[in-house]
Amino acid sequence: MTKVEAIVQPNRFEQIKDALIGLGIEGMTVSEVRGHGRQKGHTETYRGREYGIDLLPKVKLELVLEDKLVDPVIDAIIKNGATGKIGDGKIFLYKVEEAIRIRNQERGAAAL
Amino acid sequence: MSVIAKEGKKLSLSEKVSRLVTRLRDPEWRRYGGLLLGGKALGIGLVLLIVTVVSGLLFGHVYAQTGTPEVKAADVVNPVNTAWTLIAAFLVFGMQVGFTMLEAGFCRSRETVNVLMECVVDTCLCGLLFYAFGFAFMFSHGNGFIGYHWFFLQGAPATYEATGVAFLAVWIFQFAFADTCSTITSGAMIGRTGFVGDLLYSVAVSGFIYPIIGHWAWGPDGWLATMGSDGHFFSSLGMGFHDFAGSTVVHTIGGFIALAGAIVLGPRLGRKFKRDGGAPMLPHDLTIAVSGGLILWFGWYGFNPGSTLSAMDFEGIGRVATNTTLAACAAGLTAMFWAYMSSKKWDAGFTTNGFLAGLVAITCPCYWVSPTGAILLGGIAGVLVVLGVELLEYLRIDDPIGAVPVHGFCGIWGTLSLGLFACGKYGATGPTGADNSAALKGLFYGGGTQVLVAQIIGSAVITVATLAVAMAVMLVVNATGLLRVSEEGELYGLDLHEHGISAYPEYVISALGAPSGMTQELPLAPAKASLATTKPLSHIAS
Repeated sequence: MTKVEAIVQPNRFEQIKDALIGLGIEGMTVSEVRGHGRQKGHTETYRGREYGIDLLPKVKLELVLEDKLVDPVIDAIIKNGATGKIGDGKIFLYKVEEAIRIRNQERGAAAL
Repeated sequence: MSVIAKEGKKLSLSEKVSRLVTRLRDPEWRRYGGLLLGGKALGIGLVLLIVTVVSGLLFGHVYAQTGTPEVKAADVVNPVNTAWTLIAAFLVFGMQVGFTMLEAGFCRSRETVNVLMECVVDTCLCGLLFYAFGFAFMFSHGNGFIGYHWFFLQGAPATYEATGVAFLAVWIFQFAFADTCSTITSGAMIGRTGFVGDLLYSVAVSGFIYPIIGHWAWGPDGWLATMGSDGHFFSSLGMGFHDFAGSTVVHTIGGFIALAGAIVLGPRLGRKFKRDGGAPMLPHDLTIAVSGGLILWFGWYGFNPGSTLSAMDFEGIGRVATNTTLAACAAGLTAMFWAYMSSKKWDAGFTTNGFLAGLVAITCPCYWVSPTGAILLGGIAGVLVVLGVELLEYLRIDDPIGAVPVHGFCGIWGTLSLGLFACGKYGATGPTGADNSAALKGLFYGGGTQVLVAQIIGSAVITVATLAVAMAVMLVVNATGLLRVSEEGELYGLDLHEHGISAYPEYVISALGAPSGMTQELPLAPAKASLATTKPLSHIAS
């Protein structure tokens, strides 16, 4: 089992979600987050004074998958999430040791 | 008594309070204080007594000397009518608050500052334009198509026409109307219009389209107003176009300029329509939107009853206010039930737009219909607005707040409804009272089709002319490339792109950015540190 954690552009999220559902993904956890990468945000002005916007809004997707689904999911996120510009986000993968369904204590792939 | 020892120095408030508390514990200080208070009360009482007695004497004396002053009718009528018109003007101006809140609530949070700015700046622009030439085009004498006197309010009489209302009181009343029309327009264009583009088309709306087309119906010699009378357009009809407070002149013109804007702009990025499997973009604050709708309703009590320009027509004012209320009540309910039939939910957005639709519809016929008629025609408007929203959805026209169905479509319905519901009892308002000698009678009251035909002609002419001119204006502004913001600016949000700040920089997570000095106060602050230290675990992928 692998956990896919993707940080994507908010305006790309709907498209990515639709593509993932099309792949047969059954569950996902989504949060609105803020952060910055190498670019470190930029500046805006209020009442004529500049201020920094260093944390930009992103959407974070978390999915725990059977290993065979990982590559198609990564492809779908990249295909639907890439605009080619700075700020498209990143995908992180983690090994997952165990998954447990709280309702009936199923374990492993059955719990996903 | 140590506190008292500090006397002579300047004491702070808390020192004074503690000194007072100390003194109140001392019976001698209490006696002294009581004496002081009693003396002061006695003094004030004496002064009041003297003022009453002396002024009474003086007044009586003067009155006895001059006798009863001779008061002409105009000395009472003109101030009373002017005061009434001004009260109504201030109420109508208050509708700007309602529009601002309604539009801000129905839009997404990322374009809220843009909505606020458009409503404020439209008002400022409209004021200056209406001073320079808007009022002249619309309300001065000229020909049937345009007025050409009183530019920059020069050469104006003391009172406007035969109303007996001070000229500048009429000006501010009509400015508030023009401002309403101009603000309606921005509602359908939210979320994608560049700020400079907004300024450009607003100049066209408040300075030219509204005043010139409005002159046809409301100008002293407008060709639709004089229609049917001897020597004017279509004299064989024998009936002019009637629009009491502006279902057509304000709302249809505003609504159809909005339609032209929404068509030329195209939908917001990412807006999918119902038949493409999509749905409207969600509003960001229904509390603000619905409260704004109710403030508009309140402002309408200036809009409709004030349009008598005459407090002397007191029966008319009462009837108009009641009809306005009943139409809104009926329309709110019919919109709610109609929407419930398809969605099985009691929809707040449709109910709010429903009572607004009722208000728009009753604006034209409010003087001439009975309360029952107002309920019927308002109720129909409530259904129409829901159907209108569905129609725009089908046509793939993105109108974020529903300005076109509410103001455009229901403005037409309200105007035509006069031809059906005019009850045959009421004629024209006037500076000293109503003149019911030539009462309007609609089809349902046995008056035949005369009024209806006049209303259809007026409504059709103004609707078509507005749409044609507005399309031309929007296409020209669009050709300069200023009407719609860049794709990047739209996705980033108009607030930051055009105005440099979001409406809720501190506490709404999806709002972009916060002043850098504030980030430590945000609950998200620790995320910055953890994100910075997060490194991709690339070995897992390999």
